[in-house]
Amino acid sequence: MASVVSDTDLDLLLLIRAFEEALLDLFASGEVSGTTHTCLGQEYVPVALEPMLRDDFVLGNHRSHGHYLARFGDPAPLLAEILGRAGAPCAGVGGSQHILRDGFVTTGVQGQGVAVATGMALHYQRTGQRRIAAAYIGDGTWGEGVVYEALNMAQLWQLPLLVVVENNGIAQSTPTTRQMAGSVASRAAAFGVEYTGLATTDIGDIRRRLGPMIDEIRSAPHPLVVEFDTVRLGPHSKGDDTRDAHQLALARQRDWLGALRAADPERVDAARARQRAHVARVVEAVRERPLSEWRSPDAPA
Amino acid sequence: MTGQAVTSAEKAATTLSIGKALNNGLRRAMEDDPKVLIMGEDVGKLGGVFRITDGLQKDFGEDRVIDTPLAESGIVGTAIGLALRGYRPVCEIQFDGFVYPAYDQIVSQVAKFHYRSRGQVRLPIVIRIPFGGGIGAVEHHSESPEAYFSHTAGLKVVSCANPNDAYWMIQQAIASDDPIIFMEPKRRYWEKGQVDTDGEPYPLHSARVLRPGTDATVVAYGPMVRVALDAAAAAVEDGRELEVIDLRSLSPLDLGPVYDSVRRTGRLVVVHEAPSNLGLGSEVAARVTEKCFYSLEAPVLRVTGFNVPYPAARLEEEYLPDLDRVLDAVDRSFGW
Ligand SMILES: Cc1ncc(C[n+]2csc(CCOP(=O)(O)OP(=O)(O)O)c2C)c(N)n1
Repeated sequence: MASVVSDTDLDLLLLIRAFEEALLDLFASGEVSGTTHTCLGQEYVPVALEPMLRDDFVLGNHRSHGHYLARFGDPAPLLAEILGRAGAPCAGVGGSQHILRDGFVTTGVQGQGVAVATGMALHYQRTGQRRIAAAYIGDGTWGEGVVYEALNMAQLWQLPLLVVVENNGIAQSTPTTRQMAGSVASRAAAFGVEYTGLATTDIGDIRRRLGPMIDEIRSAPHPLVVEFDTVRLGPHSKGDDTRDAHQLALARQRDWLGALRAADPERVDAARARQRAHVARVVEAVRERPLSEWRSPDAPA
Repeated sequence: MTGQAVTSAEKAATTLSIGKALNNGLRRAMEDDPKVLIMGEDVGKLGGVFRITDGLQKDFGEDRVIDTPLAESGIVGTAIGLALRGYRPVCEIQFDGFVYPAYDQIVSQVAKFHYRSRGQVRLPIVIRIPFGGGIGAVEHHSESPEAYFSHTAGLKVVSCANPNDAYWMIQQAIASDDPIIFMEPKRRYWEKGQVDTDGEPYPLHSARVLRPGTDATVVAYGPMVRVALDAAAAAVEDGRELEVIDLRSLSPLDLGPVYDSVRRTGRLVVVHEAPSNLGLGSEVAARVTEKCFYSLEAPVLRVTGFNVPYPAARLEEEYLPDLDRVLDAVDRSFGW
C-alpha cells in the first residue's frame, strides 16, 4: 500500500525538482558557466533519507543539489554558490560540485567521498557518538578502486558507514550493464557488508525499511550499503543524453512525480506551482546579489 | 575501417579544428596499425566528452574502441598489460583532474617498466589528457598537471598547439615505442587551422620556432602558444619583434632552438598556465641560465598561473596568462 506523502515531503520533492529545472534554464541562457549535473528523477532518495541523518555527516558527489536541498531546505545559498553570488557557503569557489556546509560536503571526483566518509565513521565509532557518515555514490562509481579500499576498512573496523547508491542505470553515456560485472549486492557481500536494495519511490516505505537498519548501525556500528534502483530523467550534465527516445520514455514512466500526481493531481499540481514560484523568486533575488567575495585569512595583506 | 572512413577523413583534411585533427589522426593510426586500441570513459558511443573519438567505435568496432568503467587506475593498468602483449593502447583520461587515480600506475609502472626490465620491455602507451582552463569549468576540469609527469623519468610528455601538430603528433605518439603523456589544449579544441595530411611531420620531440623575431624570445606550449603568438602580433605596434617558440615536447625538452634564439635576443619570457612553482618554466629558466648566461640582458621571466588551486570559473580570466601579462613581462625584461 502506497503511503500518503506529507506536505513537507511533497514540498521538498518539488522544491528540488523546480530548482534543477530552473538551473537547466539558467545554463541554457548562458548565465551559468561550466557544467552541472541535475538529480531530476532521483529527488526522493535524499528526501526520504534526510530525516534519518539529521545529526550525521553526509558526503555527496557531483550530483548533489538534491542532497543539499533535502538537508538544508533553502535554495538561495546553493544557487549563490553556483552563480558565484553573495551568500554562497563557499563563496562560489566550490561551485555546483564542491559544496561545504554544516555536516555536509561534496566532491566531483568520483569515489573519494567513500574513503573520506570512512575516516569520519572511524571517528564516530571511536568516540561512541552514535552518529554515522553517509556517502552518496552512483552505480558507475563502483568502477573506482578506492570504493573497495574503503569498504574493506569499514567492515574490518566495523565503522558506522552508510553507502547510499543511486543506481540510475547509466554513468554519463555508459549503461550500468556495460560497466559493472556482478552487482552492487554481490560486491557488498564479498566484504561481508550488510546490503539492502530498494526499488520503491515511496518515501514512507523507504523510511520504514531503512529506519531500523540505520538505527542499528548507530547503536552497533557497522557499514551498510543501500542501493536505490532509480532513474536519471535529465541529461548527464547538459544536453549530453545518449539515450534514445524509447529509453527516455521508459525513464519518464518511472518518474515519482507521475505516481504522486496519479494519486492526488490537485494537491501535487498546487505544490508544484508553489515551488516553481518560490524558486523563481529565489533566482531573481540571487541574480541581483553582488558577486561573492572571499579573502583567504592566509593571504598577504 | 571502411573505405568510406578513409575518404571522409581525407576530404576534411585541409582546414580542421584541433579536435577534428586529433580525431582524424587517431583514425589514421587505427587504420595503419590494427594493434592500436582506444580505451576510456565514454569514448565509444558518446565519442568522449570532447568528441575526440567521435565515430571511431562505429567504424572500428567495440573491440578497438573500448568504453571502460570509471576506473582510471584500471584503464592505465590494463593498457600496460595490453602493451606487454603487443598492442598500442591509447587511453583517454576524461579531464586533467581525473588522471590522479591513475598516477600510481603511470609513475610506478608505465614510467619504470623499460628501465627495470633492463630495456627488454617497451610500453607503447599513449595517455591522452585534455588539460588546462579557459572553458569556464570547475577546478578538476581545468588543471595543468604536466609538470608531475615531466618530472618523472621514463615518461615522455608532449603537447600540441595547432591542428597540424594535433594531427601528426598523435600519430607519432602512437607510433612511438615509449609511453607518452599527450597533453591536449582543451580550450583550443575548436580552433581551426591548416592540416597538411601529405606533408612530412616535424619530429615529435622538437621545439619549433613559430614566428621569427629579434628583440625577445617567448616560449610557450599547448594552450598558451596562441597567447604568445597574439602577444607577438601586438608587440609589433610597440616596435618589437618577438620570436615565438612552441616547445611541443615537455619531456624530453628540446631547448636547442631556445638557446639559439636567446643568444640572439638576450631576453626570454616563458608562458604556461600551470603555476610557476616548480613548473616547466623553472626548468627552462634554469637551463637557459646555464647555457646562455653571458647572452642574457635580463633574467628569464615567467608568466604563469598562480600558486593556488585552479580558481572558480568566474575568476579564471584573472588566473590565466593573457596577452597583456605577456607583453608586460616583455616590458619588464626590456626595463631591466
Ligand atoms: C575519478 C573521476 N573520473 C571521471 C569523472 C567524470 N565523471 C563525472 S560523473 C561520471 C559518471 C558517474 O556515473 P555514476 O557514478 O553512475 O553517477 P551518475 O552520474 O549516474 O549520477 C563521470 C565519468 C569523475 N568525476 N571522477
